Amino acid sequence: MSTSFARMGTYLGFLIRRERIVSVIWIVSVVGLVMLFTSLYPSLTPDEATRLQLATTMSSPAMVAMMGNVYGMEQLSQASIMAQECLIWYLVAVVIMNIFLINRHTRVDEELGRLELFRALPVGRLTGSLAIIVLAFLVNLIIALLSAAGLILLDIGGVTTSGALAFGLAIGAGGFVFAGLTMLCAQVFSTSRSVSGAGFVLLGLFYIMRALGDVSDNALSLISPLGLALKVEAFYSDAVLPLVILLIEGLVLAAAALAICAVRDHGAGVVPARRGRAHATRFLRSPLGLAWRLSRGTSLAWGIGLFVLGASYGSVCADVDSFIEGNELMQQVVGAAGTGLILDNYVALIFAIMSMVTSVPVVLSVLRIHNEEKRGRLEQIFAKSVPRLSLYRGFLLVALIESLAFQVLLALGLSAASGGELAMGAVIGAALCYLPAIWAIAGLAILLVGYLPKLTALVWAVFAYTFVAMYFGRIMDVPEWVQRITPFGNIPQLPIQDFTLLPLVLLTLIAIVLAVPGAWRFTQRDIG
Amino acid sequence: MSVIEISGLVKRFGKLTALDGVDLCVEQGEVHAFLGPNGAGKTTTIRCLLGILRCTEGSVRMFGQDAWKNAVELHRRLAFVPGDVNLWSNFTGGEVIDLLLSLNGGKHNSAKREKYLGLFELDPSKKCRTYSKGNRQKVALVAALASDAELFVLDEPTSGLDPLMEKAFQDSITEIMQEGRTVFLSSHIMSEVEKLADSVSIIREGRIVENGSMADIAVKAKGRTLEEFFIAEYEGR
Repeated sequence: MSTSFARMGTYLGFLIRRERIVSVIWIVSVVGLVMLFTSLYPSLTPDEATRLQLATTMSSPAMVAMMGNVYGMEQLSQASIMAQECLIWYLVAVVIMNIFLINRHTRVDEELGRLELFRALPVGRLTGSLAIIVLAFLVNLIIALLSAAGLILLDIGGVTTSGALAFGLAIGAGGFVFAGLTMLCAQVFSTSRSVSGAGFVLLGLFYIMRALGDVSDNALSLISPLGLALKVEAFYSDAVLPLVILLIEGLVLAAAALAICAVRDHGAGVVPARRGRAHATRFLRSPLGLAWRLSRGTSLAWGIGLFVLGASYGSVCADVDSFIEGNELMQQVVGAAGTGLILDNYVALIFAIMSMVTSVPVVLSVLRIHNEEKRGRLEQIFAKSVPRLSLYRGFLLVALIESLAFQVLLALGLSAASGGELAMGAVIGAALCYLPAIWAIAGLAILLVGYLPKLTALVWAVFAYTFVAMYFGRIMDVPEWVQRITPFGNIPQLPIQDFTLLPLVLLTLIAIVLAVPGAWRFTQRDIG
Repeated sequence: MSVIEISGLVKRFGKLTALDGVDLCVEQGEVHAFLGPNGAGKTTTIRCLLGILRCTEGSVRMFGQDAWKNAVELHRRLAFVPGDVNLWSNFTGGEVIDLLLSLNGGKHNSAKREKYLGLFELDPSKKCRTYSKGNRQKVALVAALASDAELFVLDEPTSGLDPLMEKAFQDSITEIMQEGRTVFLSSHIMSEVEKLADSVSIIREGRIVENGSMADIAVKAKGRTLEEFFIAEYEGR
């Protein structure tokens, strides 16, 4: 057995060297964000009354669905409010990090033939797999401990050592479960794309399970690792049991992955590769057909995912009435406007956040041409009688249709599952208002693909800033310009705000001004 | 008439000069071998020829037209096999061949497709990710050979092929030659060059250091084998 893991240490050292930039950036970003937002809470929640009001707003079903159950109403501190509003998002970020981290060193390496080179050395069959699990464990542990240390250092009201540790470890342990899950996916599926795809589907599924479980207070949220991590209740009960269970889940998943890895063939998955068509369909024989064929799997998955997410948010609407009836403070806040106002706020919140999520697959479709370029597949296409724009146009058309279809699907899901609380037409209108903002981000991606293809990652930096500014702008006071400089900060938020055409026209123009030179430049520059 | 005419081609990537004044001429109907050590600039030259890279200085012309400006039109008359064949892992070989053949517009000859699939013993219904290097190479070769191109640009087309397939390739090129079509062949395999080529260019460090017909080369070799002569040229002796 010991030979299965021969030279684990050496390989682990090599992995750490390979990760010295990417993982360090992740660690610094996550810990930096934790500290940045935590430092804002003393001024946001100075006294007991503000905290109580915030917690009351947060206990509406809509907010519970988004961020989890409120706990410890009788002893709210700055730290416990912070944990309840932020922990889930740090957790989601760390989960995404784990999906990429594990995939990068398992299927991606296997697909590119690097792992084969390594397996030919006198190393054990499981050396690589165990090393990556150990690495993931270490990275999650470092994030957990540094986050805890950061909180202790900032020492805002209500911070205790045990609370800070519970907070940090909830993020780390939740992340490690997804390291195990992705590891398992990497054994089951034989392409790196299906591994990361499965990882994100699982993340979405567990987020929805947590939302439904938290709102109706049932075991669904305990099955979801995301829900279980929130049960730690940092800075209130600081429960250890959820952490132990998460750790065990992660270890069991990793062990299962190792067991499969020990018996499977290199390069193969549990799901075998099937035979396909000997001929291309008529549709595939064109640049547009090629663009669709390369996009369709991702497109369909996102479409279904956004519809389900919309529906799960919509299903919460029916609970809003009963929630307000049972809550005196809420009745005062809502006043004469009644439940209508709450629902309007809810719809506005969902589209403000979810429209940004929609822009992710749209940007991915724009960047697909560059992805093809990086993988060396464009030269054989452009060696044919194919104008560069004709293929690019295909990808951009897919992106445009996606932006429209995904927003409509989101609205349809929301409205269909709301039990008649939300009128379909109004919801679709609110969703479509965000299209110009999505196009502006996509326009930036087009500009980068044309002029700075090596720096296309910049679009994700802009996206991250936008998300942070828009999300935290809603729950805390920030200067107006912080949101205004993002495209999403200029969209009229129907139905709580009035419709105005001007910002939509301007954003569409900005999108065009970014996209046209970017696309033109792509036809003029070196490929590869 | 010259099918390919490259003169004074310079290509710089930032500070790095990859091609430093390449002059090259390929006549209609000949097989022109393009040789040189790894990293000498063969693939960069081919990419400039394909209009995928824009030349810094000099001119690159195909069929008398500018290779960059008229790339789309010119490519109707050309078939290309890349040195590194990267395929879409979830496509089948057959799908890739059909796609590549269709992208030149018009109908393609399915009898030829079947002929070359048979000749190279390639199963077109397998997903590309399951193909070995040699089989990926065959996908690109079948897609090129089954086309009606007048010019074939082949970048180390036989790397990864077994000797039987190597022979099938040589037979196919001989057939193409007899039809009066032109072949621009970058290769490291001396026996292949010796058998197929009418003329040769050798590139080293971004410059053409030797070119001429095979007869000229035989004279210059002064009794050495072709391989010995080329190695001397590669080393710059």
